[in-house]
Amino acid sequence: MSDNDDHKAMLTRRTAMLSAGGGTVFSILAARLYYLQVTRSQDYQALSENNRFNYKITLPSRGAIRDRFGEDIAVNKQNYRVLIVPEQVDDLHETLNAIGGVIELSDSQKNRIVQDSRRHARFVPVVVDGFLSWEEFTRVNLRLPDLPGVVPDVGERRYYPSGDEFSHILGFVGRAGPGDIKEDDDPMLLQPTFYIGKTGVEAAVDKTLRGASGELKVEVNARGRIVREFPNPETQAQSGQDVWLTINKTMQSKAAELFGEESGGAAVMDVQTGEVHTLISMPGFDNNLFVSGLTQSDMDRMNSDEKRPQFNKVIGGGYPPASTFKMTVMLAALESGLIDPAETVYCNSRYPLGNRVFNCWKRRGGGHGAMNMFNALKHSCDIYFYDIIRKVGMDKLRETALRLGLGQVFDLGISGQINGIVPDDAWKRGQLGEPWRTGDSLNASIGQGFVLVTPLQLAVMTARIANGAKSVSPYLVIKDKAPQFPDLGFNPEHLAFIQSAMRAVTEEPGGTAYAPNALGLRGLEMAGKTGTGQVRGISAAERATRIRNNRELPWKLRDHSIFVGYAPFDAPRYSVGVIVEHGGSGAKKAPAIARGLLRYALQKDGLIPFDKGEG
Amino acid sequence: MIKSALIKLYDINWLLAVMVGLIGLVGVFMIYAATGGVWSAGAKQHFLRLIFAGGLMIVVALCDIRIWYALAYPIFALSLLLLAGVDFFGVTINGSERWIDLGPVRLQPSELMKLGLVMALARFYHDIANWRISHITGLIGALLMVAIPAQFVLRQPDLGTTLLLAATGVGMIFLAGVNWRIIAGGIVSAMIAVPLFFRFGLKPYQQSRILTLLNPERDPTGASYHITQSKIALGSGGISGKGFMNGTQRQLAYVPENRTDFIFTVIGEEFGLIGGLTTMALYAGVIGLCFWLSVQCKNFFSRLLVMGLSITFALYVFINMAMVMGIAPVVGVPLPLISYGGTVMLAVMFGFGLILSAYVHRDVDLPRSGRGVGL
Repeated sequence: MSDNDDHKAMLTRRTAMLSAGGGTVFSILAARLYYLQVTRSQDYQALSENNRFNYKITLPSRGAIRDRFGEDIAVNKQNYRVLIVPEQVDDLHETLNAIGGVIELSDSQKNRIVQDSRRHARFVPVVVDGFLSWEEFTRVNLRLPDLPGVVPDVGERRYYPSGDEFSHILGFVGRAGPGDIKEDDDPMLLQPTFYIGKTGVEAAVDKTLRGASGELKVEVNARGRIVREFPNPETQAQSGQDVWLTINKTMQSKAAELFGEESGGAAVMDVQTGEVHTLISMPGFDNNLFVSGLTQSDMDRMNSDEKRPQFNKVIGGGYPPASTFKMTVMLAALESGLIDPAETVYCNSRYPLGNRVFNCWKRRGGGHGAMNMFNALKHSCDIYFYDIIRKVGMDKLRETALRLGLGQVFDLGISGQINGIVPDDAWKRGQLGEPWRTGDSLNASIGQGFVLVTPLQLAVMTARIANGAKSVSPYLVIKDKAPQFPDLGFNPEHLAFIQSAMRAVTEEPGGTAYAPNALGLRGLEMAGKTGTGQVRGISAAERATRIRNNRELPWKLRDHSIFVGYAPFDAPRYSVGVIVEHGGSGAKKAPAIARGLLRYALQKDGLIPFDKGEG
Repeated sequence: MIKSALIKLYDINWLLAVMVGLIGLVGVFMIYAATGGVWSAGAKQHFLRLIFAGGLMIVVALCDIRIWYALAYPIFALSLLLLAGVDFFGVTINGSERWIDLGPVRLQPSELMKLGLVMALARFYHDIANWRISHITGLIGALLMVAIPAQFVLRQPDLGTTLLLAATGVGMIFLAGVNWRIIAGGIVSAMIAVPLFFRFGLKPYQQSRILTLLNPERDPTGASYHITQSKIALGSGGISGKGFMNGTQRQLAYVPENRTDFIFTVIGEEFGLIGGLTTMALYAGVIGLCFWLSVQCKNFFSRLLVMGLSITFALYVFINMAMVMGIAPVVGVPLPLISYGGTVMLAVMFGFGLILSAYVHRDVDLPRSGRGVGL
């Protein structure tokens, strides 16, 4: 009994001890609370403010791209979009289905949204549809109460008013990819609605167009979601600068119109300053499609088109220059001093070399007959050039071609240019492992065989001949100071001779591109040269019977129609290079486009008033 | 002498029942605030649970203490079984296996164990002879009863509950009357064992939380984020607080898990020092009252049972508050009756039911079977 009583007393004592201990702990906790909430309260209140405020990047407007007269080529358009904040959505799939009932939403779009939402923190908005019509946008707004976590938003998007005509040189904008982000640590690139130039001029002058981001003080919660904004004019985003191109927008449109359904490329440039007035590759594509995200069907359509709309032919397409190369051969011959231009070569349409026979394009009537240099260009006689290239040699021709601007790329700023090919022995050994043969020279002398040029290179070549051998180079973005071009050092008399022969091609009866009053502008003459780029080998059997007419051939096998020219003849201002892919014989499609472009350039220039000039 | 249910109902210590209910209601309001004023985001459930658990508490209180005495070992054994079951059928939440999935019900066996251990220890000391309490056999028996469930809980891993079980066990061994020499020995061996346990017995994240407590600037966004943010919430509350539903830290969701373990930060931010101290006073009142109730009981089992349950409850409160105020590591212990959470609410109210039952049946004579020494 007493044992248990003692024990109970002990238990009571120890209970009292624990009570004292508990009281002590409560006192310590109360003291701590007092310390936090009274003594240090000021500090913690300050920290609490820090916690709440944050700075958010605001995005600048992208600069516009304008043509040489200030016409809009690339602008920003108000853009209606719908975003979704995964954090605020109970069931993403269900919400997407609900949105799908209001605006069109494909399964692949839904998948993309789900993937995007996984890639970022859950408070980062994901773009559901970045390009809504006003009507769709209002529909979404009406349904908002039923769509928690769905945020309508008005922003800016890039818009190309003439997307089809500027597709290749302008390029397009898009979201920065992992590669862009690695190269450029600008935090704007990480923003989901920020676009950078991906190709063309948009990419070339991206830094100028981009502008600088601003800063916006915002109140945020712990998940980073913005609760309130505090705009400050001093830290606003700085809009990007506008960029002016040397391009003439209406002429670019004119070029597209002249090409019609044809495929090819054309370049028009100022022979004195190098400003490119037209640079077009046809057919184009609407680069607005790339901004809003290309659909699979758009992509398929582009990829299956045999005219390859995505391919920038005017600077990236290598074509045989064909007879337009003959001026270069002439210049090489004259400069070498080995050829007397008055001396004639007899053309009976056949030129045997070893056991091979090289033909002239003119077989009817037994060839051109006796040809001097002037007439050889005017009538585009192949036999004459076969003959003189054997005396001049390939080295001299190659050197001349390079000086005239072939075989090289220019400082356009945009990517996609190719060098083309100006071949020689070393090139052939390097590429094919075979030595250069005389037959190769013969082919080269009429711009066939291994020689490849781009339409732009043809325009440059023509410009350098027309301007008296100034090494003019083309450029696209207007510069503060007109560039100076050194002289190429050709004999001016030689050039004058070539110029007069080119004039005969277009302005004299018998010229391969003769048309009465070729420019259609009273009192102004032009000069030029046709070319027919062969894309198929003609078999001996076919040659023996009858060479098939271009119209009988499938499109892919038809000849390229090529033309170079400049105008006005007596005071050269514009040069043009045109290639119409599989356009048939040189004298048809390309000259028509070139004439139209030169005429339009002169009219637009103010040299010839529209109302008076037409003749 | 068998009392009728009505008399028993009258005999219940209603002061304790009301204070417990009051704390529960504080929980309802604070969960309402923590969830941004959405009644159905926790506050409603908490309220319904409080009513249900309150009913359970009364029912438990009305059951004869001898029933609970008889059930002490079976409940302990069941808890142990379920704890072992977590190893096999456990559901992982926040990286810890703490739940057992019984179809529609998810049970936290560690909560049941808190009751089971106290009941079992109370019965153990009630049954054995007093001389055995400080004897090696009694010591080993008691220590095993604490250590076996504790190591299961530690493996889940749930450091908070492990500490709670261990501390409750130690408290009851102390109360049972272990002599001072053994207590001194225990303190010395703990001083040696704790560093070893820290080094080898804890997971890296648990170590990191303790290290962060010692130096909060160690990692401001990682482990110490909880502590720093909760101190900012409390500190910015000042003396009178920012007002109900006006806490910016709370509104902007800077304090993580503020509906559950960190709910005291909402009280501190919105009601300031006044609200914090009032809450503490309520808890102190409940604990003090329970201590007093224990002394009223005639039998040894009831006294130990009430004390053990009170100690568990007090430890919950102490560890949670110390954690929130940045003077104890973040171990994941809720503030009982206020934090959102079903099993804890049920377990705690069951515990108060047992305390009330002990008090209602305070005069019941429960013979000690210990070696012929009758009561």
